[in-house]
Amino acid sequence: MTTIILNLIILAIIPFLMIGVIKKTKAFWGGRKGVSVWQPLYDFVKLLKKDFVISKTTSNVFRLAPSIVICSTITAAMFVPMLYGKAIINIQAGFIIFAYILGLGKFFALISAMDTGSSFEGMGASREASFTSIVEPAFFMIMASIMVLSGNFSFESLTKVLDSAGSYGFLIIIFAVIALFLMILIEGSRVPVDDPTTHLELTMIHEVMILDNSASDLALYTWGNSIKMFLISSLIANLVIPSTLGTFDALLAYLATILIISLAIGTVESAMARIRMTHVFEFVFIMSSFALIILSLVIARMFGG
Amino acid sequence: MNNYFIAIAILFLGGIICAFLPQKIKTSALSIFVTIASVFSIIPALSVIHHGENLTRVFNFNPILGEINFTIDPLSAFFIVVISIMSLASVIYSNGYLKPYMAKEKSLSSHLIFLPALIASMLLVVTCDNALMFLICWEIMSLSSFFLVIFESEKKETLKAGIKYLVFMHISVIFIIIAFALCALNAGSFDFSDFAQVLHNNQYLANIVFALAFVGFGTKAGFVPFHNWLPDAHPAAPSHVSAIMSGVMIKTGIYGILRVINLIGTPSKALAYSVLIISVISALYGVLYAITQHDLKRLLAYHSIENIGIIGIGIGAGMLGLAYGNNLVALLGFAGGILHILNHSIFKELLFLAAGSVYTKTHTRNIEILGGLIKSMPISAVLFLVGSVAICGLPPFNGFISEFLIYFGMLKGLTINSFFALTVIMFSIAGLALVGTMAILCFTKAFSIIFLGMPRSEAAEHVDSDTGASMILPMSFLAALTLLIGVFPQYVFAFLIQPTSVLTGVHITLSTEPVEIMHQIAIIALVFLVVCAGICIMRIKLNNQKIEMHQTWGCGYDRPNNRMQYSASSYANPFLTMLRPLFKKVYDIEKPKKLFPTSAHFSLHIDDIEEAYLINPLVKFDEWFLSKFEKIQSGNMQDYIKYGLIFLILLLAGCFIG
Repeated sequence: MTTIILNLIILAIIPFLMIGVIKKTKAFWGGRKGVSVWQPLYDFVKLLKKDFVISKTTSNVFRLAPSIVICSTITAAMFVPMLYGKAIINIQAGFIIFAYILGLGKFFALISAMDTGSSFEGMGASREASFTSIVEPAFFMIMASIMVLSGNFSFESLTKVLDSAGSYGFLIIIFAVIALFLMILIEGSRVPVDDPTTHLELTMIHEVMILDNSASDLALYTWGNSIKMFLISSLIANLVIPSTLGTFDALLAYLATILIISLAIGTVESAMARIRMTHVFEFVFIMSSFALIILSLVIARMFGG
Repeated sequence: MNNYFIAIAILFLGGIICAFLPQKIKTSALSIFVTIASVFSIIPALSVIHHGENLTRVFNFNPILGEINFTIDPLSAFFIVVISIMSLASVIYSNGYLKPYMAKEKSLSSHLIFLPALIASMLLVVTCDNALMFLICWEIMSLSSFFLVIFESEKKETLKAGIKYLVFMHISVIFIIIAFALCALNAGSFDFSDFAQVLHNNQYLANIVFALAFVGFGTKAGFVPFHNWLPDAHPAAPSHVSAIMSGVMIKTGIYGILRVINLIGTPSKALAYSVLIISVISALYGVLYAITQHDLKRLLAYHSIENIGIIGIGIGAGMLGLAYGNNLVALLGFAGGILHILNHSIFKELLFLAAGSVYTKTHTRNIEILGGLIKSMPISAVLFLVGSVAICGLPPFNGFISEFLIYFGMLKGLTINSFFALTVIMFSIAGLALVGTMAILCFTKAFSIIFLGMPRSEAAEHVDSDTGASMILPMSFLAALTLLIGVFPQYVFAFLIQPTSVLTGVHITLSTEPVEIMHQIAIIALVFLVVCAGICIMRIKLNNQKIEMHQTWGCGYDRPNNRMQYSASSYANPFLTMLRPLFKKVYDIEKPKKLFPTSAHFSLHIDDIEEAYLINPLVKFDEWFLSKFEKIQSGNMQDYIKYGLIFLILLLAGCFIG
């Protein structure tokens, strides 16, 4: 019960804080003071109160999609281990259910973008669908490779990589962390894959898909997207934090990891420019190559004598 | 077992009776016959699955065929259930679909004879226990489906597709005949039970027979590289026939493969790996080409190849489990594969029927000129959406359950302590994940281009109403099934235990793990569904904010029109550009010329790489080779008499020498 309450509280606050910290970091590197880290939360509340503007072309799909997206994202969050490596629902092969429920949300986000009949949004949807299709297999491969070491295919077993893999564990964790960090950049639509700040439609992916959404629909989309970033960060945190830490240390370590990830995202955004759209696939494939490296490390560990 | 044969008799006779009835009541009479037959055939099937005891009936066909067994074991029973339910749904749908043809005074008699004949022959194929009888039923099935495909035989391309189908089926049946002949030579009889004994003891023979049977049955099922007939035959056939063919008939190919596995017992590791690898390639190939298609029914046909691949991945994982003696992997793999057979027939049939509804209203299968149909055909749109989500394997629909079982089986397979197993299974998992996301790409494209946005042509704009009740009803039934299986997987899993145990040999004492997970998924799916529906309704009904309707944002441009929307080709383009080498692109471009261009057009057609580089050269070579013999056929009567004479002399000489 405590896990449920704790995880839900985390889910309601930390995703917004992550975005806030990222913005603060970018302001710091830009030499500005920046807005408060709570600003994304204020924006969210304000958007909920606003009136809708909806395109005449759209159908009910457009109205229903944000609700379905947020429901599926939160359901997916139930499977992810958060604080103390505990998930609300811990079952075998949970990462498959996690990915497929997120897939359901993505499906509706895509068709809702197409529902407006706008070529901008069609463009965004088409790119989003293309890039995700490369990310997913790599994610499955990384998860399956790590979990086969312990022979336990639940998400919570991520915390025990070090116990089951010994010195190989360090290498596997390093590569997995980098791969998952790339996944945050791609799925969370951050620079260098996408640019969440600009409103130049031709260069964007996720932001352009929600161009016609307004009010609480928009609020739910932005929240959903930050939850997705947070969930992957939480996976990273559980990979890195040793399972032997005490209660308070584990709490600190968890929050510190999320903070470091947010700082890293902000720094990357400040230091790098967006990649040209035609080269994004090459960037996405870096994650696949990391997945292959992790697979080979696992094979070396299991059959390398 | 009597009930079962009554069903077969009703089907064969019903079709013939329908042929003599007046045009108006033909289809409704057929629906009644098929309904009765389905009830009669499902009853014994369910009792077999429930009790786990086989039903057998011996027929004496002396002196030609000898004694022939018909057996319903749990595996056959499962297929009987699938065939009966799915055929019934399509036949009821055909009432509405054939109405325009009835108005045009087109003769339906032959169509209505072959339709029940196809259903009956499929039912016979899955129960037949004798190789000769099996081949006879198999041939009835192929021929009757051929006649159904060429329903609109006045169209040239329909006839061409039909003949291609016929040729493929007869090449495939040669392989099946060779496989059975090899077994019969060694066993000394045509009974499957005798085949089983021989194949159990002779690993070498088992491998060859399986390989031959896999090519033969795989052609029917549509495994790459034997899939080429599928994308041509399905668009040519009327929608309810494509639904039966894609939903049920190609599964008889899978039945053949499963039956051979059952005869072999424990397959060798090489066989298991080959099936797994071919299946992954089929799934990827199918979905990749589905993304390239703009013809709705061709797109769905390529998705059949994909799903056959997914079924094959399940079967391959199951075979690996058998080969390595890991019962849990075998159980999960086969259970996933078999459940996907049922699931695929449900949602693919739903999609084909919905495609048929779109076709009856717009008279086009080209999705590029559709759009906005959700406003004029809301029910069909929702049903198509349900089918799309289900076929992508997304929860809480049925496709997810079978894919999850297959994934889970493969994850368990990773723990088989073998380097080769680990690598192959790991790439299969990644392959299946890639297939899933590509399916999302494909069906978001198909659904949104057909039903969302603005109409892209007059055909789509002037649709006034949704299709009639006789077409909506079977589709709604199928859509309800997809959801029920997705939300109550634990009962479905229990239903699968008997058919799976036929394949795994031993009656598995269930480890509680899969059952437990199915229960958990059921709860999660149910809660998700209720909460999601609740939030959707709440956000729409209890909305306090004002809603202002406005134009879609077009950078300040206030007159967006339907030509400015994203098209299906452009939607698929970023992904396809990345995979350029896997296609043969055929452009048809006319560039705008002069100062005031009068005409310009652009169209892109993507050819199947296998057809372009393998099938077409083969056909060309064949034509060239056969043209060498043209001289023999001179058209001169004297020449033909000469040939006859030479033949007779040779025959006589042969008799004397022999």
